Amino acid sequence: MLHSLFDASVWTSLAAAAAAAVSSILFLRSRNFLYDSLALAVTEIGLILIAAGIVAGAVAGRLGGGPWWSWDARLTSALVGFLIYAPYLMLRRAIEEPTRRAASAAVVSIFAIFDLPIMTLAVNWWLAHHAASAPIGVEWTVLPVAALAAALSWIRLRREQDRRARDAERRAAQEI
Amino acid sequence: MKFLRQVLTVAVKDIRAELRTKEAINASLAFALMILLLFSYTFDPEQEMMRQVSGGLLWIVFAFAGTLTLNRSFARELPNDCLDALIAAPIPGSALFLGKCLASFLLVLAVELISLPVFGIFYRVHWTLQFPWLLVVLLLGTWALTIIGTIFSALTVNIRLREVMLPMLTYPILMPALMSAMRLTTSLVNGQPIPEDDFAWLKMLIGFDVVFTAVSLALIETVLVG
Amino acid sequence: MSAVAVEGVWKYYGDYPALRNIQLEATEGACLALIGRNGAGKTTLLRAIAGFSLAQRGKIKIFGKEPREAETRRLMGFIGHGISVYDELSALENLTLFGKLYGLPDPDRSAREWLERTGLERVRNGLVREFSRGMRQRLAVARAFLHEPSVLLLDEPFTALDDRAIAVLQRLLREALAARKTIVMSTHQLREALELATHVALLTRGQLTFHGERTQEMVDDPGYVYARYGEGA
Repeated sequence: MLHSLFDASVWTSLAAAAAAAVSSILFLRSRNFLYDSLALAVTEIGLILIAAGIVAGAVAGRLGGGPWWSWDARLTSALVGFLIYAPYLMLRRAIEEPTRRAASAAVVSIFAIFDLPIMTLAVNWWLAHHAASAPIGVEWTVLPVAALAAALSWIRLRREQDRRARDAERRAAQEI
Repeated sequence: MKFLRQVLTVAVKDIRAELRTKEAINASLAFALMILLLFSYTFDPEQEMMRQVSGGLLWIVFAFAGTLTLNRSFARELPNDCLDALIAAPIPGSALFLGKCLASFLLVLAVELISLPVFGIFYRVHWTLQFPWLLVVLLLGTWALTIIGTIFSALTVNIRLREVMLPMLTYPILMPALMSAMRLTTSLVNGQPIPEDDFAWLKMLIGFDVVFTAVSLALIETVLVG
Repeated sequence: MSAVAVEGVWKYYGDYPALRNIQLEATEGACLALIGRNGAGKTTLLRAIAGFSLAQRGKIKIFGKEPREAETRRLMGFIGHGISVYDELSALENLTLFGKLYGLPDPDRSAREWLERTGLERVRNGLVREFSRGMRQRLAVARAFLHEPSVLLLDEPFTALDDRAIAVLQRLLREALAARKTIVMSTHQLREALELATHVALLTRGQLTFHGERTQEMVDDPGYVYARYGEGA
């Protein structure tokens, strides 16, 4: 069960990464901040999901009689994926000005999506000599996990839109 | 041709400025030697294990010492608002970017080429035996480090915690390139040719360089102007 | 076709409008003084005209072209808050560098010529970090004028200049105007700017509250425009 939850979280996070990249490109073309909020929302939820998945995967390995970290290619790729996207959130926190923040974050998102397949290949080659990992399967667990992710992303998107609206009001109020 | 001249003008400017102050290059070199020395406490140079980790160790040294130089790349434009003047100049953003990449590339490479003999002396590895191939890997790996480090140096130039954000962004993205370089260097620095199976890693390194050079060039205007 | 045309420009920082529906133009040979309180948006507007940042709405045209095009950039000279020259290079090296970047046919000769015109000929091989403040500012002026731009964008150029630098700048600006160059200059130093200006624009909280010819009244009483058209008017 935990294994399939890990698999589900990997697929859903990949979808989130792709959505973030598309959203980022759309933001850079249109400068519509809705796309920036969307990219933020799916990246955040995707990160939480992959983190949960990594924990699930590690626990599953331990419960199955193995070590906490078996250097399994899938688990390790997931971890590197997390490390690639975590700086996206850190970067956003470090930039005050909204347009600059959105544009810079969009650039990082695009770099990240290009890196994901290369990284996954590299990790798989590197760890190929370990017990051959079964490819990540698609099971029924994908649906509820994806649905949960979509719902959480929607909520996060609305919260981000609200925050931006309040921020705009605050700045406008400061003029007076 | 004009483009090339513009790239060289920017590159020469950066290198000249760096050689006048030597801030980055001194820090980078000192850092590299320090890490090499520290690691020698951990590993007995006689041991077989040393040979296995040599490639990894070398690239950790290069990547960390290199970041000190790469951080300066766009940061050196901040005093006096020089970045404004560069962006206002009628040169394409890509020329500015490649000029800076070239300068950083040469500076980082210089530190690497100095570190290599030191590494050889401390750890008694036969790095000269496969030097041509080793140089190829060095050039490809350093270009990967440079391209990612420079684009993110431009991205983070004006933000808080720049010195923290640059490595945080650079290293994860760089991982596939570092892994390739480490793998290839381990054989070569010990005087062994690249094993047949490992040529895939060379292709990955080249692929990484091509893809991310293209992505960086595509996004540089956005990074510079916003 | 005007030299500088700002058409319905809005610039947002996120959702906050720093510039609101700015509509102004400067014809060739005009000297537009952009005045306004701190935070009114003068620097934002100048930087948008110069192409350092993008306006979210509206258009900016320099002789009918986009500011970011290479050909247009060649026509513009900018002096911002910083001097935009390198401390670690010499005065001559700095100007030669910009000469090359601007594609001048003989960068070295142009550099020497402008060092002379700004009175820096004798220190041409000195490193900028050893220069006095006034010398640094004169070098900044040389850098901006080096490529003979048709449009000069100056952000508070007279602020914190010493007397010699002010004299040099005023002379160069008068010469530029006589040669039908266009100048847009934001300023707090109303007197020096209004003496040179042909037109005045007042920015109040991101909006253009006055735009017209400079009158004698303004020169006699620089505070006049603020009183008449600024906030509290």
